[in-house]
Amino acid sequence: MGETTPAVEIRNLVKDFRTSFRKKLLRAVDDVSITIMPGEVYGLIGPNGSGKSTTMKALLGLVAPTSGQCAIFGKDSLKVDSRNDVGFLPENPYFYKHLSGNETLRFYGKLCGLGGSALQERVEELLEMVDLTGARDRRVGGYSKGMLQRIGLAQALIQKPRLVILDEPTAGVDPVGSRQIRDLILKLSEQGITVFLCSHLLEQVQEVCNQVGIIFQGRMVKEGRLEDLIAIEDQTEIVLQDADERLIEGIHGMVERDGRASVVRTGKPRTTLERLFLREISEEE
Amino acid sequence: MKAGRKWVILVVAVLGFGAVRLPFEKSLHRELLDVGLLTEPLDIGTRDRIGQTSSAVALGGLRTLVATFLNLRAFGYFTVQKWMDLEETFEMIVDLAPRTRYYWETGSWHLAYNAASYYINDSELPALRRREEWRRSILKGRAFLERGVKNNPDDWSIAANLGFLLSDTYKFQAFRDPDESFAAAAEAYQRAWNTGNALGYVERSAFYALSRVRGREAEALEMGRQLYAAREKNRTPTLLSMIFVLESHVDPPKDPVARAVELFGSEEKAYQVLSGHWFRTRERFPVYGVAGVVKSLESKLGIAEKDSVLNRPLPTPRSLDEMFRDD
Amino acid sequence: MMDHSDTMSVKDSHVRRVLVIATHAFTQLVRMKVFYFLAIFAVIAIGSNFFNLPQHEGPESAGTEVLRSIKSWSLGAMTLFSVVISIVATALLLPKDVEDRTLYTILAKPVPRIDYLAGKLLGVMMLVFVSLLLMDVLMTAVLHIRTSMVLDQRVAYATELGWPQEAIDSMAAEVNAMGSTWSLQGAVLAVFLRASIMASLALLVSTFSTSTLFTATVSFLIYFIGHFQADARDAYLHVGEVGQGLVAKLVTLLVTLVLPDFQLFNVIDAVIEGQVIPLVTMGKLVLVALYYALFFTIASWFVFSDKEF
Repeated sequence: MGETTPAVEIRNLVKDFRTSFRKKLLRAVDDVSITIMPGEVYGLIGPNGSGKSTTMKALLGLVAPTSGQCAIFGKDSLKVDSRNDVGFLPENPYFYKHLSGNETLRFYGKLCGLGGSALQERVEELLEMVDLTGARDRRVGGYSKGMLQRIGLAQALIQKPRLVILDEPTAGVDPVGSRQIRDLILKLSEQGITVFLCSHLLEQVQEVCNQVGIIFQGRMVKEGRLEDLIAIEDQTEIVLQDADERLIEGIHGMVERDGRASVVRTGKPRTTLERLFLREISEEE
Repeated sequence: MKAGRKWVILVVAVLGFGAVRLPFEKSLHRELLDVGLLTEPLDIGTRDRIGQTSSAVALGGLRTLVATFLNLRAFGYFTVQKWMDLEETFEMIVDLAPRTRYYWETGSWHLAYNAASYYINDSELPALRRREEWRRSILKGRAFLERGVKNNPDDWSIAANLGFLLSDTYKFQAFRDPDESFAAAAEAYQRAWNTGNALGYVERSAFYALSRVRGREAEALEMGRQLYAAREKNRTPTLLSMIFVLESHVDPPKDPVARAVELFGSEEKAYQVLSGHWFRTRERFPVYGVAGVVKSLESKLGIAEKDSVLNRPLPTPRSLDEMFRDD
Repeated sequence: MMDHSDTMSVKDSHVRRVLVIATHAFTQLVRMKVFYFLAIFAVIAIGSNFFNLPQHEGPESAGTEVLRSIKSWSLGAMTLFSVVISIVATALLLPKDVEDRTLYTILAKPVPRIDYLAGKLLGVMMLVFVSLLLMDVLMTAVLHIRTSMVLDQRVAYATELGWPQEAIDSMAAEVNAMGSTWSLQGAVLAVFLRASIMASLALLVSTFSTSTLFTATVSFLIYFIGHFQADARDAYLHVGEVGQGLVAKLVTLLVTLVLPDFQLFNVIDAVIEGQVIPLVTMGKLVLVALYYALFFTIASWFVFSDKEF
């Protein structure tokens, strides 16, 4: 398949839901179009209930579009074979509690037509990758939230899909787990796997995605490359190390003399609470 | 697909599917009835029992188990002599398990024997009521067995039980017309024998019953002769006596003593058996020609007139008035 | 990258996937400790040997009540187990997958929805089949031992009374007919067939129901009323004779067409009482069950095919 076939192509997707019997229709997704080229990491952001999950479900054929089309590597989402090349991690996934991590991955592998030693090798590889080798024979029912997300990610990758779709991959996971998942996403991206994720945690998207779409009330309000979207073109930031009062005053003076430019703010840069938390606990260890 | 259209298609498919299977299911149902794997609801005409029959139908696979429990309950009623409840319970049991011989036989036995003797001996009711209840119990037992026979036409034992009840010495007074009940007994025994599974005594019993029906002596004699000819084992003292008695009625032999000796082997034997038979009037056996031949044999064997069995008092059947007295 | 449609023929992949899902559903139910019931059954089957219920029993019929009791208890337990499990398990599995969102992960794999449904159904049927098989083996063993005991006792009694040989043979045949026969195996098969119909029916109900409770209730109701389908059919076909009104005619027709005829499976009771099922009749029962199971499965798929989650 040539590089010109988009990994994801959503064209003018509209999805209406009937809120209750005979009531008026609720438009969950309104004319959304998304194109993701192979190798990209695309983040769809928006508040809860803005249509992110519905868009993903339409892409996976779990819901049928009211109008518009979805395709994965050129194959219509409503056809079963479109799902050969995609892995999906739903929001807050639960897996069969009675299966162990190992059995869970084997089950999904078999569903994809894998078997024999090839399957077991793949399972070991993935358990290693998501750092669950130690918990492979424990029942999934006893897994923590972060472990569930990781086994979910491994499950999504079982048949080596070229596209993975992640719905709120870090929702409800503690910062350490969250970090692990983000690292995994970056690793996938390095391997050339296309990633389509959605989240309401903007910062998370900012860290891993190179393409971003902002969806609000079912409509796409902004879309493009991350750097382009978040750069404030008419501002420049200087962060100094060990600068004394004199130097700062000097800079202020230079700005005043310039006449055109102005100082927007000065002060100590703040670390994010998350970064602080991660730094503190890594020092503890 | 639009939801509305989908439902229409589904409903049409369900109805169409039903229409296609209808004739097949109907014929299979008929077939199962014919080979006795399903039973027509008992007494389909009676509306009051429809609820009971319904629950029996819906218990598919559990019916005999429920019958087992009901049998236990019935036994409880038996021990405290609640005959109405017992009867009702057995009605339910045979609805659930109409092909089980045991329930038909036990149910009728409780009614015709246990309940009946309870009314003879134990009840506090006045004599006339006890007598009527006694009769009703026996008739119920008979009706119960008759239904059992109807539901299990190939079962020898239920039919034989019916014959036994109808020709029971202590019961036949309950039936208004002894000729009718003995004829019915003969028919029941014969039916049991015809299944091919009964022991030989059942066929002889049919004969014993038939020989007690007044007006059918010739027919009975014919049957007795066939039995005599068929097997050595059939030649019981009773059968030999009855052949002699029936012959004396239908076609009296010129020399009864010679005929008796021919039948029984010797004068002594003939005297022994026939003088014994003389006392069986209580069982309603006919005694045509017996007095005469016994008298002749007594004189031949040198038995004194005063020792003659004919002078001994006959045991009369206990009359119902005797059985049911207010003490 | 793998292209799976090339490595397997389409039909093979269907069968394999159905089996994967079926095996999984089977494991799931087993790990829900369903098989504990088998231990209870073992107690019942062996215990029914010793249920010496107080009853009238002459030496001439000694023991046959025990044989019937073993069969009644065993097939009764099989009936309860198979009907309850086939309804409840089927009603449970589908909504559970939806609720836990495990369904998303399965349908996001290249799994056609018919494979998913067929797999779940097959899993439940496998469980019922294996359970019935184990129960059947136990029942047959107990019955076999007990029958020969009863037979010895009865033959000894008959010989003592000097019964002729043909009478003893006829009695022995009667006792053996109360023991373990091919018809009894047929009755167990009938129990399984009925459970299969119920499972596929519950599957259909659960594709449009919103709760396990609803599915189970409706299925049990259909099971119950299905026993009177034959009566409705008779009433409909002979409607002119009784002179019912139009409404009654319509109702009976509807019941006839919509509900399965479960009365056919009451042959089980007749077999417990010692009746024989001819092989041809058994074959027809299998056909009926197959017809229902296939139709209900296809109808389930029809409802499920474009269901949204």
